[in-house]
Amino acid sequence: MLKRLLLVRGAEIALFALLAALPLWVQSSYALGLLTLLAIYGILLIGLDVTVGYLGQVNLAQAAFLGLGAYVAGIGATRFGLGIPATLLLSCGFTTLVGALLALPALRLDGPQFALATLSFTALCSTALNEMEWLTNGAQGLSITRPPLLGHLLTPRDFFWVCLALLALTWVMMRNLLSSQWGRAFEALRDSPIATDAMGVGTYRHKVAAFAFGSGLGGIAGALYAFNFQYLQPQSYVYELTVVLLLGVVLGGRKSLWGAVVGAALVALLPNLLSNPVLFRAFAVIGFAMAAIAAVRGLVRRSTRPFQALAPVVATGALVLGSFLQKNTEDWRKAIFALMLFSVVVGLPEGLMGFAAGALARLFRVAPPPLPPAASLDEVLPARATTGEPLLEVRALHRHFGGVKAVDGVDLTVRAGTIHGLIGPNGSGKSTLVNVVSGLYTPTSGELLLRGLPLPRGSLLQASRAGVARTFQNLQLFTGMTTLENVMVALRGAYRLPLPLVLAGFGRPEERRAQAEALALLALVGLEAEARTPVMDLTYGAQRFLEMARALARKPELLILDEPAAGLAHPDVVRQVEVIRRIHARGVTIVLIEHHMDVVTSLCDVVTVLDGGRVIAEGPPDQVKREPRVIAAYLGATAAEPDGPGPVAGAPAAG
Amino acid sequence: MPFSIVAQIAVSGALMGLVYALVAYGFQLTYATSKSINFGQGELVMVSAFVSLSLIDLGLPYWAVVPLGLLFGALLGLAVERAAVRLALEQKSEGWILLTIITGLFLFSAAENVWGRDDRPFPTPIPSAPIHLLGVDVTGLEISVAVGVLAVMGLVELFKRRTLLGKAFEAVSADRDAGELMGISATRTVMLSYALSGGVAALAGILVSPITTVGPTMASAMILKAFSVAVVAGLESGFGVVVVGLFLGALEGLASLYIGSGWREAPGLALLILALAVRPTGVFGKAVIRKV
Repeated sequence: MLKRLLLVRGAEIALFALLAALPLWVQSSYALGLLTLLAIYGILLIGLDVTVGYLGQVNLAQAAFLGLGAYVAGIGATRFGLGIPATLLLSCGFTTLVGALLALPALRLDGPQFALATLSFTALCSTALNEMEWLTNGAQGLSITRPPLLGHLLTPRDFFWVCLALLALTWVMMRNLLSSQWGRAFEALRDSPIATDAMGVGTYRHKVAAFAFGSGLGGIAGALYAFNFQYLQPQSYVYELTVVLLLGVVLGGRKSLWGAVVGAALVALLPNLLSNPVLFRAFAVIGFAMAAIAAVRGLVRRSTRPFQALAPVVATGALVLGSFLQKNTEDWRKAIFALMLFSVVVGLPEGLMGFAAGALARLFRVAPPPLPPAASLDEVLPARATTGEPLLEVRALHRHFGGVKAVDGVDLTVRAGTIHGLIGPNGSGKSTLVNVVSGLYTPTSGELLLRGLPLPRGSLLQASRAGVARTFQNLQLFTGMTTLENVMVALRGAYRLPLPLVLAGFGRPEERRAQAEALALLALVGLEAEARTPVMDLTYGAQRFLEMARALARKPELLILDEPAAGLAHPDVVRQVEVIRRIHARGVTIVLIEHHMDVVTSLCDVVTVLDGGRVIAEGPPDQVKREPRVIAAYLGATAAEPDGPGPVAGAPAAG
Repeated sequence: MPFSIVAQIAVSGALMGLVYALVAYGFQLTYATSKSINFGQGELVMVSAFVSLSLIDLGLPYWAVVPLGLLFGALLGLAVERAAVRLALEQKSEGWILLTIITGLFLFSAAENVWGRDDRPFPTPIPSAPIHLLGVDVTGLEISVAVGVLAVMGLVELFKRRTLLGKAFEAVSADRDAGELMGISATRTVMLSYALSGGVAALAGILVSPITTVGPTMASAMILKAFSVAVVAGLESGFGVVVVGLFLGALEGLASLYIGSGWREAPGLALLILALAVRPTGVFGKAVIRKV
């Protein structure tokens, strides 16, 4: 614990102390300018990393927010005589607002469409800054005098310290934010938006918030940028800069504050580096040597694909050749940048700091902070009284896809405290039915009631908040997180602290409590020993159990299990039956879709059989199994023999 | 403002819009097979135009340069696929967005240094004298753009529907895994789509160069509008890009007439963001049902 504190926090303090002390030695105004730019870009890239690293989206709008922030500050200072604190707040507020507005349409998108929307926004902003001459002075540029701060005239060195202090503040606040439920929510919606909604977290709110945060930081950086250069031109904030910034984040390492600052240093220093041929040659040769060593190692161990090993060697080789043959490296700046980035993106996808962090972690073996003891299950999942009253009522429910009537007039009543089986051959409408109940699909017509009150329709989030939790037939885990974090994302009622306090670092006790609660749920499904395991490394069976623990974190009244035993080995099936019994014992009502008839028979109080989107039978499992219509549905016979051999018992039926 | 001038500007704009449609069609070709697009497509347009210009400078006749330029574009498309796209597709990541941006940056810088930063005229035997048609003046060049764009799109569509290779293309587009199970190599099909897309980009460059001149930045504005066209129309419908391209081109001409020439790009960009907000799959795209 102490070692961790010393190393991790110590390194951060050392970094900032070093940066703060540098101007005491370095007197040249040029070097000071570079340091200031580094601090400004640091803030900018930390903001960009929220969307690029945590949301996993290619965001090409950050240069536009830098420009907007710079112009707001510049206009505020020149036209309205505002001081530095006021302009910083104004820039930050304005860009946060614009970011949120842009996120409203962009939040429905991902992948290339999101990249295109943000790229268009950048182009639009640069057009607007250029053309709104009455406000921005257009292409002629806007000259600004740096206002004094609290009555002091700032020397360049003072201004650097101001920027550095803001970078440190940003660093601390983002660390607090990203290690809280907010950070987990950002990552969760990257991995599975559907599950994020189904776990009651709300992709909408968090995506907008993440983007707005990043934009707001862009605005702060923009204001500082304006006061640093004291001259603004619209063409500074175009496509090229936005690409350079994006690549700075990737180069430094995504999802890492260190990575953002390292990336900022590279972006700020690179032009300088390229104009010095000796320095550039040295860097090219070092890069080539590293790529070559990595390639040989990767190929010998067969741990990388040939392309991944060789392409960086070719790219860095071209850099070395170029550095010796080409005199005027400044002209080839973009090409050099492109080659460097290509090598890093292909050969070192986690970026420089991602790579370094891995190496350092192996070297120092810093243990993660210990987990609190698990909470008592009675606190986390208080036993409910089982009344036997109707909990979920489905009336005349229809869901059509074009001409396909997937659910065609289903009536169903699930009583509180029961385990209600839902069976039927493939394509009978079971999954569609639970997708409608859980809010993934909007019903075409019909009524859904939970405890006699209408259940929100067509919204996973609202249904989840109303008390319906579910697992997914095709696993929808948050694959970039650990087992414990998956459960923590979904915990209901665990996070009440308002955002400003989270930013200020008061979220620790809440986190500990959430960890304790999540551990209790993991213990319920027998995964407490895997709390720290990345989900990717869990066995398939364990992932199925984790889905159940995560759904229970919603503390639901109604738990829908969609084929929880699909693909499980026999011992796991036996264990799962045991786990479902334990969950049931807490008074949670369960709807179970299952093909293993022995599981259904041993667990369910009532079974409803669907075929062709309609209910064809309902009753206790043993009775339903003997119904001629059920046997016919499973075997496809036109008329079943009255004393059929009970074909659906035992083995998994019909796939 | 007399109606004839407005009509004139709308028609000229619409004809330019066909070039955006052609570049957007190039996005659709690769999107169909691999769900990826080349963010550096504008550089493909520009470099192909420069290479064609160099061939003309060498003394080759225009009509010999056109097929060579297309071939070069196709080869460049293949190079982009190999360098920037294939690895990301194999890893099922979206790394191709970054990598195609990077290759674009490289091509841009290389072109700046090889051919210089100045804009140069592109000689063509097609007459640029205006022809009076239905009350508006249309130049031979503009007609050649329209004919070239529609002919090539028609040919590619015919190829997709009538030839075995084209059907393989459609099969992989519909379902990559099922196509592979039927013995079609998805990798080769993706390569084919990038080659076609590169050729289409080169054609756009050759067609538009005599009008706009050739320079490193000739495609940077065009590519944004091609993105708009592709997104507004949806990344699936070839018919859609033509309609939206015509519309956007006319809109752009009118915007520069009424708001000011600095704003000519704005409607397209705003339209793109709006279209994405209202209908993320595009006006002519199909809605997707989420499955779990």
